[in-house]
Amino acid sequence: MNVLKEKPASSRRSIAQAFRRGDGSQSVAPSPVASPTSQTPLATMVRTMVDPDAESQQRPLSLTLIRRLWGLMDPYARKRRMLVILVLARAAQIPLVAWAIGATINGPITNGGPIGSIALAALGVLALGAAQQLTLVFRQLLALQLGESVIHDLRGRLFSHLQTMPMSYFANTKTGRIISRISSDCDAVRVGVQDVMFVTMVQAGQMIGAAAFMGYYDLPLLLVILAFSPVVWMIGRLMRNRLSVSYRRVQESFSRVTSTIAESVSVIRVTQVMAREQVNAQMFHDLTVDHAGYNMASTRQSGLLMPLLELTGQLALALVLMVGAYRALLDGDAMPIGNLIQFWFLAGLFFSPIQALGNQYDQALTAMAGAERVFRFLDQTPQWTDLPDAKPLAQPVAGRIEFRNVSFGYTKERRVLDELSFVASPGQTIALVGETGSGKSTLASLVARFYLPDAGELLIDDQDIRGVTGESLSQVVSVVPQQNFLFTGTVRDNILAGLVGAPDEVALDALEALGCRRLIADLPQGLDTLTGARGAGVSLGQRQLICFARALVMNPRILILDEATSAVDTLTELRIQRALKRLLAGRTSLVIAHRLSTIQSADQILVLSQGKIVERGQHDELIQKDAAYASLYRKFTAH
Amino acid sequence: MRNTVVVQRLLRIAYRYRFQCLLLLVMQTLLMGLAVAVVQLGGLGIDLVRYHVGSIESPPVMFAGRTLPATISPLGQVAIVSLLMIVAAIIRMLLNWAYALYAGDLVHRRIVVDLRSEVYAKLQRLSLRFYDSQATGSIINRVTGDVQSTRAFVDGVLIQLSILALSLVVYLTFLLRIHVLLTVVCLATTPLVWWLSLRFSRIVRPLYDATRRSADELILRVAETSDGVTVIKSLGRQQAEIDQFNVVNDQLQGHQQAVFHTVSRFGPTVQFLTQVNLVILLLYGGHLVSTDQLPLGTGLIVFAGLLQQFSNQVANLSSLAGTIQQSLTGARRVLEVLDAEEEVAQPAKPWVPTAVTGRVEIEGVWFEYEDGSPILKDVSLTIQPGQRVGILGGVGEGKSTLLSLLPRFYDPQCGIVKIDGVDVRQWDLTTLRRSVGLVLQEPLLLSNTIAANIAFGNPHATADQIREVARMAAADSFIQQTVDGYETMLGQFGMSLSGGQRQRLALARALITNPPILLLDDPVSAIDPETEHEILAALKSVIQGRTTLIVASRLSSLRQCDKIVVLSGGQIVQQGTHDELIDEPGIYRDVAIVQGFLPHESVDSIEESERLGGVRR
Repeated sequence: MNVLKEKPASSRRSIAQAFRRGDGSQSVAPSPVASPTSQTPLATMVRTMVDPDAESQQRPLSLTLIRRLWGLMDPYARKRRMLVILVLARAAQIPLVAWAIGATINGPITNGGPIGSIALAALGVLALGAAQQLTLVFRQLLALQLGESVIHDLRGRLFSHLQTMPMSYFANTKTGRIISRISSDCDAVRVGVQDVMFVTMVQAGQMIGAAAFMGYYDLPLLLVILAFSPVVWMIGRLMRNRLSVSYRRVQESFSRVTSTIAESVSVIRVTQVMAREQVNAQMFHDLTVDHAGYNMASTRQSGLLMPLLELTGQLALALVLMVGAYRALLDGDAMPIGNLIQFWFLAGLFFSPIQALGNQYDQALTAMAGAERVFRFLDQTPQWTDLPDAKPLAQPVAGRIEFRNVSFGYTKERRVLDELSFVASPGQTIALVGETGSGKSTLASLVARFYLPDAGELLIDDQDIRGVTGESLSQVVSVVPQQNFLFTGTVRDNILAGLVGAPDEVALDALEALGCRRLIADLPQGLDTLTGARGAGVSLGQRQLICFARALVMNPRILILDEATSAVDTLTELRIQRALKRLLAGRTSLVIAHRLSTIQSADQILVLSQGKIVERGQHDELIQKDAAYASLYRKFTAH
Repeated sequence: MRNTVVVQRLLRIAYRYRFQCLLLLVMQTLLMGLAVAVVQLGGLGIDLVRYHVGSIESPPVMFAGRTLPATISPLGQVAIVSLLMIVAAIIRMLLNWAYALYAGDLVHRRIVVDLRSEVYAKLQRLSLRFYDSQATGSIINRVTGDVQSTRAFVDGVLIQLSILALSLVVYLTFLLRIHVLLTVVCLATTPLVWWLSLRFSRIVRPLYDATRRSADELILRVAETSDGVTVIKSLGRQQAEIDQFNVVNDQLQGHQQAVFHTVSRFGPTVQFLTQVNLVILLLYGGHLVSTDQLPLGTGLIVFAGLLQQFSNQVANLSSLAGTIQQSLTGARRVLEVLDAEEEVAQPAKPWVPTAVTGRVEIEGVWFEYEDGSPILKDVSLTIQPGQRVGILGGVGEGKSTLLSLLPRFYDPQCGIVKIDGVDVRQWDLTTLRRSVGLVLQEPLLLSNTIAANIAFGNPHATADQIREVARMAAADSFIQQTVDGYETMLGQFGMSLSGGQRQRLALARALITNPPILLLDDPVSAIDPETEHEILAALKSVIQGRTTLIVASRLSSLRQCDKIVVLSGGQIVQQGTHDELIDEPGIYRDVAIVQGFLPHESVDSIEESERLGGVRR
C-alpha cells in the first residue's frame, strides 16, 4: 500500500533531495500565479509564483546523448564488457528457470515418475536458480559500480569546469541551479546508467526469451499473449502521462504548503503582535485541505494503474486457458496439457517487463534531460584564458592603477561604466561612493579582472590587464567582498585560504599586523573554531576581521574592499576601523566605502553616478565644493 | 518521551479513525479472498482440461465437494471457469481501486489535514522561546515530513500489521487445506527471510547515512564555490577547491561501494530462498502429484500461486521495521510541538481598555533567557504618551529583549511592565498586542501582493485604509510606480524591492492597526547608509502622536529622540538628549566619535579610553 506522495521523515531528507524536490516543483508551464483549479481562489497567506526559467524534467531519447553517455564508460570498458555478458546471461537464465519448473511438472510429475527423477529435476531447477541469482549478484554490483564510477568522474569534471567559469556565469546563475547540475542531474544520469541501460537489456532479453520458449511450445497461444502486450503498454503509457501531470500538481501544491510554513515562521513576531494566529491557522487549514485534493487526484490515477495492469495479466491467463482448452478438446489437436502449464509460468515473465519497461522509459527521459544539461554545462566555454603572450606583472609591483576611458556593461544594451578615467598612485586609498547602482562594485571587479573592459584600457603598473597572467594577477590583487564570506572549515583554513598548508604563525602574524591578535582569545576554540555552514561561534565583527586577515596573508599590492554595512558594537567597530587602517597602509586600495571614517581619510574620493565619475578629490575639498559629495555626506550624517 | 508513551499517544490518535481503518481491513480481506479465488479457478481450469482429455479419472472438485454438472459440454465448463476468473479479476481490480481511494482519502483528507492544522495552529500560538531554539527547517519538517511519519503509524504500521496478520491467516488456511505437511515444508525458509530482511535494514541504514552525509558535504562544496566565487577567484584558489572536492567525491564513492556490496547480495539471496521454497514444492508436491495424492491444477499449481502471493506479503515486513522506527521519531517531534507549553497566556480576568494612551512604565525588570545569565538587570524606564525614546547599546546588550517585553513575547522574571498604568500581564493579550506596532531589522515581507502584506494585521482593511497607511509610511509613491501597483507580487519570482522600500512597507504594515505604541527594532541597520534617510524621513511623520521606542546603532536614527537611553551590561548607564549626551564622557560620546559626528582626530584618544572601557562601567 503506497498512498504517500511525500516521503515521510523528511527530517532525514538530504539537501540533495530537497533540491530535487525544489526542481520538480518548478517545471511547470508559465502561468504567473499558481491558482488552484477550484472555482473560488483560495485565500492564502502566501502566494507562490512559478519560476519563469524553470528547467524541463524530461527530454526525448537522443542517440547523440546516449552515445556520449556510453562513451563515459570507456575508461571502464572491461567492466562494461563483463556487464554486457552478464546481462545476456541473465536474459537467458530467467526464462530458462521458468521453463525448467514447467518441464519438471510436465515431465516426471505429470507422468507419475519415481521420486528419484522428480528429485533430479528439482535439483536441476535449484542449480539453475542458484546460477541465476549468482549472476544477479554480479550483474547488480557491476552496474552499480559502473554507474557510480561514471558519475564520480562526471562530478569531478563538472566541478573542475565550474572553477573555470567566468564571473558572469555565477552572477547570472542561482546557487540552487548550480547544485542541481551536480546533484539531481548527475543522479538522473546515474539512474540512467545503473538501472535503465542494463536493466532494460535484461528485461527485453527476458521477454524475447520467454516469447521464444512459448513460441516453441505453441505458436497460436503465443499470438494470444502478444496481442495483449500493446494493450498493457498503452495502459501504462497513458496512465503514467496522466500521473506525471498530477504528481506535478501535488508538488506545486506542496511547495505552497512549505513556503507558507516557512514564511509563517519568519513572521511569527508580526503575527503574534497583530494577533493574527487564528486567521493564519484557518488559512493554513484550507490550504492543507486543498493540498489533500491534489493528492487525491493523483491517488485516483495511481490507484488505478497497478490494478489495471494486474487485470490485463489475469485476462490473458483466462484467455490462454480458453484457447488451450478449445484446441485440446475440440480441435482434436492433442495439445499436450504441459504446454498450458508452461504458458502459465512463462506468460508472467513476458508481461512483467512491460510495466517495468514503461517505468524505465520514464526514467530514461529524465536521464536524458539530466545528461543534456550536464553536457551543455561541460560544453560551455570557460573563462577567457590568458593570452598566449601573457606575461606576469613585472616585479617588483608598485601597484599603480590606471583607467583610460574604460567602458563596460554586463549586457550589450546597458553600459554600467561609461568612458571612465582615473589614476590611483601606488599606495593610495581610493574611496568609491555613490548611490546603489552607480557602478562602484563593477569598477572594483574590473581591477580583479572578474570581467574584461568592453572598451578602453585598464593598466596596472602601465601593463594592460589583458596581457597579464591570471596567476600573477591573483598574487597582486586581493578582494574582500561585502558579505564577509567564510568557507566552511576552521578559522585557520579561512585565514590561510590563499596559502594552503602555511604554518599557524602566518595566520597569527597577520592578525598581529592587523592589531587584532585578541581575536584568537575571543574565539571559543581559537584558530580551530568552526566557520561557515557549521560555525556558530563567530560573530559578524569577527568575520570581518578574519576576512581582513585572509587578504593580508596574501600581502597584496592592490586591495579591493567592499565595506560591510552591518552594524556592530562600538568596541568591535573601533577594532575594525583600526584593522582596516593597518590593512590599507602601504597598499593601493579601492574601497567601496560605507564608513565615514574611511571616506574621510581616503587619498582620493571618486563620486560615481550612472557609470561616470562626477566628482573627485579629498573630503575637505569636496565639502567646500558643496556639490554631489556634500549632499551625500549630509545624508550620511545630518537629519 | 519513552517509546511506550509515544506508541500510546499514537494509538489514541489512531483510535479517532477506527471505523475507517476497520472498513479498510474488511476491503483487504475481500481482496485476499478474491486473489485466492482467481488462483484456484486457474488451477481448476487446468484440472478440467486434464480431466476431459482423460489424463485423470475423477472430475475436479469445484467448491465444497461439488463438481460442475456433466450436462455442460467440456468446453463450456472451461468457459465458465475462465469467465469466473475474469469476473473475479474485474471485481478485484475495482475493489483495489476503491481501496486505494478510500485509503488515500483517510490519509490525505483526514489524518494529514487534521494533524497538520493542529500542529500549525499550535505553532502560531507558541511563545518565541520555542522559535529561538529551533531552526526554520526543523519547524517546517515538523509540519510536513514529521506529520507524514506520524500518520504512517496508522496506515503504514497499524494497518500493515493487521494486513500481515490477516494474510497469514487467510493464506495459511488455504495452503493448509490443500496439504498440511506440504505447507509446513514449503514455509520452512520464511523465518529466515524475515530475519535476513531485518538484519539487512540494520546493516544498510548506517551505510546510507554515511552516503548521505558525504553527498551533503559535496553539495556544500558546490554551494560555497558559487557563494564565495569572488574570494576563490581573487585568491586563485581554484585548484585547492578542486582538490578538496575530489577528496569528498572519492569519499562518497567509497561509501557507495559499501552500500553496493550489501545491496547486490541481499536481493538475490532472498530471491534464492524463495526459489528454494519452490524447489521443495516441486520435490515433495511433485511426489504427491505423481502418486495421485494431490491434484495438479487445484493442488500443485494453486499452491505455487498462493505461495508466491504469500511471500510477496511477507516481503512487506522488511520495510515495516523501518516504518515503525521512522514513525516513532516523527511522532515524537510532532508531539513535542503539540505538548509544548504556551508560556504567555491570556489572564483569567483580562483588562480591556476603551482607549490606550500609550504611557509605558518599566519597573525594576530582570530578564534572562538561560538561568544565571541575566540580559536585563533591574531596568526601569518611564515613557510618557507620545514621547520618542531611543535606545543605544552594543550587540547582545538586551535592547531587543527590552522591546519584546511590551507585547509580552516574554514575561520578565522579576519586575513589572505597565502600559497605561496596568501590568501587561493583566491586559487582554490581543488588545495589548494590537496596541503595539512592531518594525524589525528585517522587513520580513510575505510572498504575496503589496496590499496583502500591508493588510496583514487587518485582512478586512479597505483599499483606502491600505493606501492611507502606505502614504504615511512614504511608500505610496513608489508603489504607484510599479506596474501592478498595490497588486504587485513580492517574493522569490516577484518584484524585487530595495531594502529601503521593503522597510517602508513593513512600517505601513505596522500602522494598519493604528497602534498608539510603536516599537522600532533597529529598522535601518540592514540598509545602506545612502538610503537610510528614506526611512528616517518616513518615520518622522509616522511617529507623531505615538509613543515610540527606537533601537538603533547609528546615531543618525537617534538624535531626534526626546530621550536616549544607553544600555550596557543589561543596565541603563546613560540617559538624556543627543545634545546632552554628546558632551558627556561615556559610551554615547565614543560612538559619536567613531561614527564621525565629532572631529575625526579624536579617534586615537578614544581608542585609548575604549581600551579601558570596562572601568567606566
